Amino acid sequence: MARRLRIAIDYDRCVGSGICVLTAPHVFEFNDQRQSSVIDPTGDPEELVLEAAHGCPQMAIFVEDADTGERLFPPPGLE
Amino acid sequence: MLVQDDLLAPEVVADPYPYFARLREEDPVHWNQRWGGWLVTRYEDVVTVLRDYERFSADRMASLVLELTPEDRDRLSLLINYFSKWLVFTDPPYHTRVRMLINKAFTPTSVERLRPRVREIVDELLSEVAHRGHMEFIHDFAFHLPVIVISEYLGVPPEDREQVKEWSDETSRIFFIRADEPDRRERSQRGLQHLLEYFEPLIYDRRRHPKDDLITALVQAEERGDLLSHEELLATCTVLIFAGHETTTNLLANGLVALTEHRDQWELLRDNPSLVRPAVEELLRYDGPVKATFRWAKTDTELGGKTIREGDRMLAVLGAANRDPRKFQNPDDLDITRTPNPHVAFGHGIHICLGAPLARLEAQEAFLALSQRFPNIRLADRPREYHRTIVARALKELWVEW
Repeated sequence: MARRLRIAIDYDRCVGSGICVLTAPHVFEFNDQRQSSVIDPTGDPEELVLEAAHGCPQMAIFVEDADTGERLFPPPGLE
Repeated sequence: MLVQDDLLAPEVVADPYPYFARLREEDPVHWNQRWGGWLVTRYEDVVTVLRDYERFSADRMASLVLELTPEDRDRLSLLINYFSKWLVFTDPPYHTRVRMLINKAFTPTSVERLRPRVREIVDELLSEVAHRGHMEFIHDFAFHLPVIVISEYLGVPPEDREQVKEWSDETSRIFFIRADEPDRRERSQRGLQHLLEYFEPLIYDRRRHPKDDLITALVQAEERGDLLSHEELLATCTVLIFAGHETTTNLLANGLVALTEHRDQWELLRDNPSLVRPAVEELLRYDGPVKATFRWAKTDTELGGKTIREGDRMLAVLGAANRDPRKFQNPDDLDITRTPNPHVAFGHGIHICLGAPLARLEAQEAFLALSQRFPNIRLADRPREYHRTIVARALKELWVEW
């Protein structure tokens, strides 16, 4: 069974590039401020969530394992 | 209302921030008669204009075409055809398709693997001048670093770099509006023509002999058929080479001026190299390489209490937003520890600079090395002159000593 993810967005960094919304459209959506918001952490496979986090030009997306707290993105030293 | 309302007045070119501040306080969405468009200077409004791509288009060619006579349109058809495929001048859905295709190559984690090589290039460039005790920072350093980095990443051979840079500069004439150049559109088209002729055989070569470079990656996207047409591939090569040049040079030069003029901040960085990441963000905010970026209203709309008409041109003044006291505490102070630092130096919204992660990396490595190798660097006692443009904050020369 897929692990549960905790996904957080740093709104001081998010510029609304829309990359995450296009990459994992069932997880991320634009809010009325046209910044990213998480609508359903389980909406797309983990692989797409991580691709969205990688794709963010602002490193604004943080992903961890909701059960163990293990940091999945960004890698250490890059946040 | 404003005594001096000229984006290209000598004192505004030399130091635009007092003019920006006055606009921001007195008339934040301001009709500038001389330029013929709206100047948007508050952070919140700038962000609105840049986020709302449905109301504000980035399609510069559509508006240029309207200004041209039919004869000019014919004469400049090559320029119009290719520039209308440059990511910076396009709206969704084209923009979305191409941006998503090349975004992967420019993400923070992707460019991070270039860091050792960037460090090496910085080191080589500084070693060449170290014994001299002085340099013209732009010509000796800031100009070369981004050219070498983007050329290697894209796959332009070292022996062609200088030539490609020249053509790229010619191409850019149309954007960095230098009022005194009546033939800049023609020159721009000639530069572009050279670049296109240059990239054709490189693309042909990569088709037969794939390499580990961006041209190969783009060629492979083209070969899959539905992703990228041949013209789009050529347009993308030219925009990447162009965009990887001048702006990073100006980030480095403006950043060095800011740091050397705020000695306490320079010493803070010198003694705490780990501050280099927030320091680069602050340099981008304080005196970034791009003063402003254009948009066109797609419908009649309202902004900051002003009625904007369909087709009106808008200047989102990044340099003004980045000093907005509504968003930043003590905005006119340079504080390399400032966090968070949600500046808009790279723009905002879907057009957020594709190369931002690479520019950040280059600037981090440059300022790290400069502060460690030339801890006593200072500006030489020479006048500093900026190019007369609306968009770029670009020094002509920058002499430094150590």
